[in-house]
Parts: sequence; C-alpha cells; structure tokens
Amino acid sequence: MNSRKKKRIIKYVLLISLAIIWVIPIFTLFATAVKSKSDFYSGISLFELPESFAWSNFVNALTEGRILHYMKNDLLVSCIKVPLGIFVEALAAYAITRLNIKHRTAIFAFFLIGMMIPMQIALVPINIVFNSLHLTNTFSGLTYVYIGFGISFGILVLRGFFMEIPREIDEAARIDGANKWRLFISIILPMAKPAVATLMITDFLATWNEYLLATIIITDNQYKTVPVGLMTFVGEHGMDYGYLCAGVCVSIIPVLIVYLVFQRHFVEGMAGAVKA
Amino acid sequence: MVKKRKIDWGAYAFLLPALIIYLSVIIFPVCYSIYISLHNGTGIGKMDFVGLENYVQMFSDSIFLTALKNNILWIVLTVVLTTSISLLLAVALNNKFRGRTFFRAFFYFPCVVAPIAVALIWRWIYNPNIGFINEFLKMIGINYTQTWISGENSAFFTVLIASLWQGIGQPMILFLAGLQTVPADILEAASIDGAGSFTRFFKITVPLMKETFIMVIATLIISSMKVFDVVKGLTNGGPNNATQMLSTYMYSQTFSYNNVGYGTAIAVFMVLMMLVIVIPYIAFTAREK
Repeated sequence: MNSRKKKRIIKYVLLISLAIIWVIPIFTLFATAVKSKSDFYSGISLFELPESFAWSNFVNALTEGRILHYMKNDLLVSCIKVPLGIFVEALAAYAITRLNIKHRTAIFAFFLIGMMIPMQIALVPINIVFNSLHLTNTFSGLTYVYIGFGISFGILVLRGFFMEIPREIDEAARIDGANKWRLFISIILPMAKPAVATLMITDFLATWNEYLLATIIITDNQYKTVPVGLMTFVGEHGMDYGYLCAGVCVSIIPVLIVYLVFQRHFVEGMAGAVKA
Repeated sequence: MVKKRKIDWGAYAFLLPALIIYLSVIIFPVCYSIYISLHNGTGIGKMDFVGLENYVQMFSDSIFLTALKNNILWIVLTVVLTTSISLLLAVALNNKFRGRTFFRAFFYFPCVVAPIAVALIWRWIYNPNIGFINEFLKMIGINYTQTWISGENSAFFTVLIASLWQGIGQPMILFLAGLQTVPADILEAASIDGAGSFTRFFKITVPLMKETFIMVIATLIISSMKVFDVVKGLTNGGPNNATQMLSTYMYSQTFSYNNVGYGTAIAVFMVLMMLVIVIPYIAFTAREK
C-alpha cells in the first residue's frame, strides 16, 4: 500500500513539472503582451509586473493590426470549406462503402495517396493556373484547394464509420422504397453524426490554421487569413515586442474557445474517428 | 432469364464531385510538377527543356544536401522523441485518478494552435534580450546568455523543441485509445502468472497496440517529412542553413529565387521519398478488413 502511494506521488510530481514546462510558452507570451514599449526601454524583467498593464496592445492588434479582419476572412473560408468538403467526402465514402461499384479498394487507395502528397508539390502548378484563371486573392480559389487537400483524410475517417453501419439498414430502406440518394441523406448521413462532428472540428482547425497554401494564393492584405496575416503583422512591427505578442495572443483566442467548447470531442471523438 | 449485370452509373455519380476536385487539386498538380521539374525557367513565359538536369544538380548542391540531412535527422528525432514521450504520457494518464481529464486536455492544447503561431510564441522563449530562457537564467543568478535561434549549433534544436511542444498531444490521444483496446483480463492473467509491470507492458500491451504504433509512426513520418510552418516562423532555414529543410529550401528556391524548375524538382524528390516510406502504410490501411 505504501509503495503504491509513493508511486502516485511520483506520478503527480512528474506530471505537474511537465505541465509547468508546457505552460512556459503561454506564460511568456502573455507576460510580454501586457507590457508597453516604455517597459522594455526601462529594461523590465520578464518576471516583473509592468508599471501598468498595457491592455491597449490587444485592442490595437485587433483593429490597427487588422487581426480582427484576418479572423473574419478565416472564419468565412472555414465556414464554407468545412461543410462543403465533408459533404463531398461523405458522398464518395458512401459510394465506396455501400454502393455497387467495382474496385472499391483500389479507388479508396487512390484517394488515400493524397494524404502523403506534400502540399509543396502543388504550389507551383496552383500558382501558375490560378494566375491565369484570376483565382489568386479569391476566397473561392483558396476554398477549392482546401477542399482538395482535405478529401483524403475525410474519406478515410468517414469510410471507417460508414462500414460500421449495419448492411440490414440499407435493405430495409430499399424495401421501403428509398433510392440511393434518400438512403444517403435521410439514413446514413444522420447515423454518422459523431464522425461528422469530429471531422468538422478537426477540419475547422486545420483550415483555420493553414499557412503554406494561403501564402501562395493570398497576397493581398484584404483577403489574408489569420496565419498569413499574423506573419504580415509580425513583419510590420518587428521591434514592438508587447504589441507583437498581443497580436499572437488574440489570434489564438478563437481556437482556444473552440477547443474549450468541444474538448470532449477532441479527447474521445478524435481517437474513435481515427481508429475506425 | 439471366439478367446481365449492368454497371450502376448512378453509384459512380456519388464519387464524381470528390474525384473531380481530387484530380484537379492533387493529381493534376503532381503531373504538372513532374513536367515543370524537367524544365528551367521562372514559371512565366517559355520554359526550356533540360531533362533530368535539375535532379542531377540537386546532388551536387551542398545546400540541398544539408537540407536533406537536416530533414532526415528531423524525421528520426521527431519520431523517436514524440513516440516515446507521448506513449509515456498516455500510460501515465490511462488509469483513473484525480485531474486526469485536466492533464489530457492540457497536454493536447498546443495541437490546436496554428504551427505558425507556435513558432511566433517560441520566439519569446528564445529571444536573447527579453526571452524566457535568458531571463530565467539571470533570475536564478547564472550569467549565461545564448542567442538560441541564431546560434548555428542551437538553432536546429530550438525549432525541434517548439515542434515537440506542439506535437505530443495528438499521438498521446491515439495511444490512450490504443491502450483501451488491450483487454484487462489478459493483463490480469499475466499478473497472476507473475509477470511484472514492465514485462506486461512490453510483452503484452505493446504487441497488442501494433496498429496504433504503425499509425502514429506513419503519421509522424508524413508530417515531419513536410515540416514547414514552424521552421519558417522561427528561423526561415537559417542561420547558415542550419535549419534548412527540403520544404523550406524548395519554397525559397521557387518563390524567392524564381528557380521554378529546380524548386519543383525538389518537391518531386520529396514525393518520391514519401512514396518509398509510406506505400507499405497505405497498403496496410486500404486492405479489406
């Protein structure tokens, strides 16, 4: 009994010390963000409280630093990309798992290839084609490419889930006179709600956070999403430490909110979705 | 009367939207990139056909070789460190105890932050003037300052640590799910037979979690192969190419120096490297269960 208790204490000590290391980056970011320019001139230490908290850093970053504008853009792109992408992926996953098509395994494997294609290979072709089609600096262009890069993972997750739904349901629906489309919309898709929910959240975050494709497709400040905008913001204010940190700080607030609200989905749903 | 099995075109229609988007966004660019990589030029106007010259050039380009070496080292270290730390955490967080949910959520949190923001956050840990490490050392009375990010020896590891901070959570969750699939009665039986906790872990738990291991390691290889954001945000490949990766080198060759043919050849090389590593994994995932 005694050794068990000792083990538990060791475990707590290890976990808590690791957690402290884990929190350092966030602490540093916040402690720098609340300091004003004059604090840095007077050589204040990171661990000292500032003369007065420079909350205006946060407001300025949102407005003058255009972070709020970047958030609006990002939200728009994500809110179109996620449902549309999942719908397209679900259609394909439904065909692969439940409809009468040949070579379903080969088709699925073909879709999986996309998971290991590094985005880098698409940069130049997309750049060339988008320039000639005038799709650079458009949300529709960016959204289309995002849907393309999401297809592999989406089909992987949804196929896994659709396979778990018993075949008898299809039979029953067919006898009741439902066609393929009805079966999909009214029965299979609603039954896959847990998988769709998890996919929505992960997809939202992946879209919200994407940087590489966005730098190629979006160059105009007016259309930038948060990650690209953040790099612009940093480039514009290289020496204003407090202001910079405040900008980074506010940029992670939306994902923090999404995370706190849907936390259960992350820790339980994610594992389930990927495992299937 | 025997009905001839007709092809059900309606079924294929369901595949169509995904197929069109997938072909245009993934497959077409791959083919187009292979074509471009056989040419020299800026991407605007005429490209000169040079055959495999860009690929030959790669292996006499010392910066490319540095990037390749860094990238391989990056993959190996990421896989080894992430797998071991996240497995350890998963085991520690598997049993019920007070605060378990908190710790799980806590260690997972960095995963949801944009990698580019992670890089920007870690800049303030490493900042030589006001950063956490140097300030902390000063506070506890150690007079040692380092430039961290801009030091040629330290830069690689500064980026690696930032990336680990973000990357632990996801595999931890997967391992936690994997641990759930190990039947408790087998472990109990082994325990009765006198197997210690180490023997049980390595002889029973680990082999039963084979699928989880394969998945974690494969996804880690894929993601670390194409690492970009965190490097771009912290060091941009510098100092003196100490953190240059294939992706950052490809990016700068293509978009900063306008060597579109050469940059694309590097991207094609990345795909080939990936294929060699990952094809066994795809075969494993796609097989009919």
